[in-house]
Amino acid sequence: MAATAAAVSAAEAERQELRGLLHKKYRWLDYKFDLVFWVTAAFVVGAAADITKLLFAGDWDFWTDWKDRQWWPIISPFAFIIIPSALQYIQWLAWRFPTGATYTAVCMFLCSWVGRVYQWDAFVTYPLVFVWPATIIPAGIFLDWVLLKTKSFVLTSVLGSMVWTLVFWSSNYMTLAPYLQPTQFMGHILTLADVQGIMYLRSQTPEYLRLVENGTLRSFLDETQYVSLVFGATVTIAGYWIGQLIARYLAIWPIGRFIKRF
Amino acid sequence: MRRTIFISLVLGVSAVFTTAAAAYAHGENSQEGFLRMETVAFSNVQFTKDTIKQGEEVTITGKASLLTTWPRTLGEPDTGFLNVTAPGPVLLMKNREINGMSAPDAFFVKKGNAYDFKLTLVGRDVGRWHVHPTFSVAGSGTLIGPGQWITVQDAGGFQNNHTLINGQTVNLENYGLGQLTIFHWLGFALGMAWMLYWTVPAIGGANHRTVSKLPVTLRIPLNTDGQDIGLITPRDHRISNYLLLATFALLVVGWVYQSVSFPIKIPQQVLRFTPPELPQPAVFASAIPKDAAFDPQTSTLIMNVDVTNTGKVPMMLKGFTTSSLTFVDQTSAGTGAEHVMVISPSATIAPGETKTLNLTLRDPVWRDARMIEVNRPRIEVAGQLLFQDQAGVQNQTTIASSVNPKLI
Repeated sequence: MAATAAAVSAAEAERQELRGLLHKKYRWLDYKFDLVFWVTAAFVVGAAADITKLLFAGDWDFWTDWKDRQWWPIISPFAFIIIPSALQYIQWLAWRFPTGATYTAVCMFLCSWVGRVYQWDAFVTYPLVFVWPATIIPAGIFLDWVLLKTKSFVLTSVLGSMVWTLVFWSSNYMTLAPYLQPTQFMGHILTLADVQGIMYLRSQTPEYLRLVENGTLRSFLDETQYVSLVFGATVTIAGYWIGQLIARYLAIWPIGRFIKRF
Repeated sequence: MRRTIFISLVLGVSAVFTTAAAAYAHGENSQEGFLRMETVAFSNVQFTKDTIKQGEEVTITGKASLLTTWPRTLGEPDTGFLNVTAPGPVLLMKNREINGMSAPDAFFVKKGNAYDFKLTLVGRDVGRWHVHPTFSVAGSGTLIGPGQWITVQDAGGFQNNHTLINGQTVNLENYGLGQLTIFHWLGFALGMAWMLYWTVPAIGGANHRTVSKLPVTLRIPLNTDGQDIGLITPRDHRISNYLLLATFALLVVGWVYQSVSFPIKIPQQVLRFTPPELPQPAVFASAIPKDAAFDPQTSTLIMNVDVTNTGKVPMMLKGFTTSSLTFVDQTSAGTGAEHVMVISPSATIAPGETKTLNLTLRDPVWRDARMIEVNRPRIEVAGQLLFQDQAGVQNQTTIASSVNPKLI
């Protein structure tokens, strides 16, 4: 009984100590330091996320005629979640902030828009409405919220990846919708997105390279989109853990090797 | 330091001015010459205009033949795509016909077949642009046809109007930009709200500092939010819930908006077809190359070819097409002929006659276009001989021969 009381007392003492540490004033670590960190890291995080996205899902993110209902919801959520997952681990571990995914999404959003507006629209003159980037900010907020509530990376990887995929699709489908309207072109019924892809010349991207739904006897008839979303959610779990591995073994572990822990 | 900067600037500017002209083309000479000659032969390529206004049409016609000499190392050709290469979407593709059939997308191809193409484009961006027809083959790459400079003149702006099935006319240059911008930046605003709440202590609370929290966070288990010590507070949970609800509301509004505004939608379409084969005239010519020699010093190719007229009337050798080049018989070439060849003894072959023709193709293009190079794994020439009989009927016969280069 006495031992239990001592343990409770020790735990309370530790809590008090941690509370004190939490609000301790540091002379050189004021909010200016935080600001410098968040702003400078934004460029690195945005670039890392954008490059990872382009590496795995470049064309799906560039062209409206690639944003289809079969491959887009599989490839893109997987590619997009890797860096947000890594940042989620780092920011939760270090500061208990459920912000890694949203922070990455916001940074990447700005990087992507700068790239599309200046490189693709202004410089190469592709219309922005043909080369707009997908957004993952709503998906990032959902993913961070799942981590905040579950406080578990295992649960976040499973539940969060599913939510991430669904929100990714629904938040981008609303901007894709106008380009899925049917029209007649060259004597065929096509979507506006198809017409954009045909009209706006992509010199070294032959049309047969376009990986979009083109039918298979194994299709679930009208259910292609739902099957893709479920499969995409499953694949995204793998993407989430790739991000976790990057964070744990490429980012955090080396720091722990050379910097003394508190 | 100043001297270094000055020298760097001079070198940089010189490099730009001396190499920009070469870089302005599309790499049509960068692929290995023997592969260009053995794969696709472009013939009779014509541009209807070289100067257009924005919105005005220019048509490119011609024939692309998938030669029987297609190298096995490139794999069997199965799917092809005829397009245009240009510096970005400076022109727009308005219509594409292959062997008389509309071909928006790629199509199935077969070795030995020829594809008459008609590409209708309209001017979009003001400027002077180098434009080529191209033939891409899945698994192999893109072959580039003869190019031409096209000048697009200012017409006071450009609109790419297109009519939907529902009768609405939209400008594809900016259609949907408004809603795209609104939804994306509303999402961004929510993301910023989430970030500002969590990272600015003045908004989220003193517990939202970053670096100074490390001594605390590293001492508690990863699977806890530290509510008992005030690391994350009930208020944090509450505000996060509100922001999540706002995000969810944005999704619902967006979903309802797209459902109401665009009720009829279809998935992206993929069109594939096999173009009808071109009518084949009766075969009256055959050709077997005997040998070929190339002199890099004078850029001269000499071929000896055994030619047989299996028809009933005399025929003539009119030309030789390889890759994007066409050489015509010098004796019958007009003043506009770009490349010519000398045929001896005579280009005319009587019915039933077999004759060895000596073809001399002396032209700097062999060197300039890097068609025959001695530092390649195969030193070869390939292409199509064009024969024509008295009635004007034409035969194209594919030949390929190794080349004996003059090395010393």
